[in-house]
Amino acid sequence: MKEFENIDEILDFAINEEQQAVDFYMTLAESAKNEYIKNTFIDFAKEEVNHKNRLMDIKQNGLFTMTAETVADLKISDYTVSVHPTPNMTYSDALVLAMKKEKAAFKLYSKLAERAPNSELKDVFLSLAAEESKHKLRFEIEYDEFVLKEN
Amino acid sequence: MLEQDVKYLKFKTYLNTYCPFCHQSFNVEKKDHKQIEFKAKYKGEEIDIFLSPYLDVFDSETSVPVKDGEFLEDLMCPHCQKSLISPETKCGECGSPVGSVIISALSKLVPFFICLKKGCEWHGLTKADERKIKLKIPRQDMPEQDQTLRIHNHQEVPYGFTTELASLEAGRCLQCKVPKCVEGCPVNVDIPGFIKLMREDNFDGAAKKIKERNVLPAICGRVCPQESQCEEKCILGYKDKPVAIGRLERFVADFERKMELVKIPIVKNKNNKRIAIVGSGPGGLTCAADMALHGYSVTVFEALHELGGVLTYGIPEFRLPKSIVQFEINFLKQLGVRFEVNHIIGTILTIDELLEHFDAVYIGVGAGLPVFANIEGESLGNVFSSNEYLTRMNLMKAYRFPEYDTPMPKGNKVVVVGGGNVAMDCARTAIRTGSSDVTVVYRRSRNELPAREEEVHHAEEEGIKFKLLTNPTRYIGTDYSTLKAMECIKMQLGEPDASGRRRPVPIENSEFIIECDMAIIAIGTGPNPIIFSTTPNLKRNKWGYIDVNQETGETSIEGVYAGGDIVSGSATVIEAMGAGRIAANSMHKKLSGTKEKEKEKETKK
Repeated sequence: MKEFENIDEILDFAINEEQQAVDFYMTLAESAKNEYIKNTFIDFAKEEVNHKNRLMDIKQNGLFTMTAETVADLKISDYTVSVHPTPNMTYSDALVLAMKKEKAAFKLYSKLAERAPNSELKDVFLSLAAEESKHKLRFEIEYDEFVLKEN
Repeated sequence: MLEQDVKYLKFKTYLNTYCPFCHQSFNVEKKDHKQIEFKAKYKGEEIDIFLSPYLDVFDSETSVPVKDGEFLEDLMCPHCQKSLISPETKCGECGSPVGSVIISALSKLVPFFICLKKGCEWHGLTKADERKIKLKIPRQDMPEQDQTLRIHNHQEVPYGFTTELASLEAGRCLQCKVPKCVEGCPVNVDIPGFIKLMREDNFDGAAKKIKERNVLPAICGRVCPQESQCEEKCILGYKDKPVAIGRLERFVADFERKMELVKIPIVKNKNNKRIAIVGSGPGGLTCAADMALHGYSVTVFEALHELGGVLTYGIPEFRLPKSIVQFEINFLKQLGVRFEVNHIIGTILTIDELLEHFDAVYIGVGAGLPVFANIEGESLGNVFSSNEYLTRMNLMKAYRFPEYDTPMPKGNKVVVVGGGNVAMDCARTAIRTGSSDVTVVYRRSRNELPAREEEVHHAEEEGIKFKLLTNPTRYIGTDYSTLKAMECIKMQLGEPDASGRRRPVPIENSEFIIECDMAIIAIGTGPNPIIFSTTPNLKRNKWGYIDVNQETGETSIEGVYAGGDIVSGSATVIEAMGAGRIAANSMHKKLSGTKEKEKEKETKK
């Protein structure tokens, strides 16, 4: 795993990760057969662009604020079975895919935090992990409200 | 005051009547019954009179020598001889003099007026007192099959109101001038109107009044969630339990059917335009009936071999007898509606092909695609979707295997996942088909259960267990890939979600195992993709449901309308019917040119 020496390096890494997510969703959007699923992936990509812009803003203006809040974990991404992207994916599959991707990002930043050489960098990683956790929660809530309707 | 109230008061408490001056009772004991006795004056002569049980001086059984249209000159207390005529109050209907007495109604003493004109049936309680007394008549329960017996059969649980219970319940209605209950009904049945007819013992008229807006009253009376629709808006419900509108609806619909009073309306103005309805569920049937009554030639296409959609394959016999569904469908057949079973639209014929032969198409196929939580082990043997389980049981009559061809899914320890009406239907079916232990696993608490309270109550009575604040995390199989257990996690309630219910959040490290040999997943349904596979240009939302103009039911394809669960996702029978009606109205406007005429009018303005 890559070693980081300062906050800028971490932010560059995170910005790159967000860009990869944008590319991933755009590829899925291109291959999706259903117009609405296509739009869904484009929306997901747009969200990742927003995340990326936010990080770039932080890097430029140095306005990095720590998020100390605890983010709820519905654990839906833990228990759902992995989904393989196909051109005929349904919206609920798309949600599972997205929440698992955010969960993976959360895990990555949490691991990096564990390995961080100093507490300042550790806090930056933890903050990024919390951010990813929020993104995951957004997808879990959508899944919770519309798939697990219990009727 | 209404007859039913007085009847009730008399039956339940015996109506005591007192003099407002000397406060002595007017009640006298006769040989085998009680009576209320007065003195009165007519044409200068003093006579003894008796009040009927309905506090009517001129009841047919009493022989008071007063001619029709004339009135008593005086009404007097037999004890203090004082005149009971009220100088300030006149009859609310004919303006004649009235006698004033005090009645004791359910531990309350209230002033009560009796019109002294023969032929007038006005009983005057002040409006406020009338309300007070009405509130005291409790909401009536339907007699029902004993739980120890009913878990061994599939017969309907409630027997329905008797005439007397129905009259009592109808008497509770406040007959509000601005009735909120009508607003709560998705098809706007004239609820006070039909209850008023019931109070006049005109049950047939009441049934006809409902049918002006609802073609399936016997079904809606049984399966509509009235407590969250019409009854939720009932004004009486603010201080007491609301009027049991659904039970009354069921009573009059059953009365009409049993007494063979159903009349098939003669359709005038028949035109040569043809309508195709895809799906014979409640929405399709409503749209079909409305269009047939407008004079169109209607054909309903049903994918299964039996008609009725979710009413037939989804709702069990013990909640909705199939003979009733059949009866309502026969009504439509007699209206001239044609039914084609075993026609899967999307494969046998596409929507485009239908449009070549029909002037308009209504899609009311429901949401029949099972939804799973997408967790590990859902493909194990003996893990069923509620759709498959109920279809096997209700439509294919698997519980009568081998008389019917479909084998019955069976388990000793059954777990049903979900908390809606469908979950209750699955659990109650399982207990009726020999499962010894049936548990409903639901991730929220009892207060948030989306099933009707009545269904939950019945399930509990029948011995169904509830494991609340619990969610499955995976299904565990045997070496032969059949279910042997289910891993669950305990939940706690967090912040409210979009539905207003508190969102369940898992409790860290609280996983535990429930042993079970059959699981039924009842967490929701989705849109079946068959129609869309051959009609990809039909605009849908991200969840796959059809996008329509909510005011007209029009889809993105000219001449194609849609409504019900295929538009809204899983909802109620009556909401599907409401959507069928909206589509029928706009179809008719368009096909008869009314819409164009309205537009022309608007442009002229």
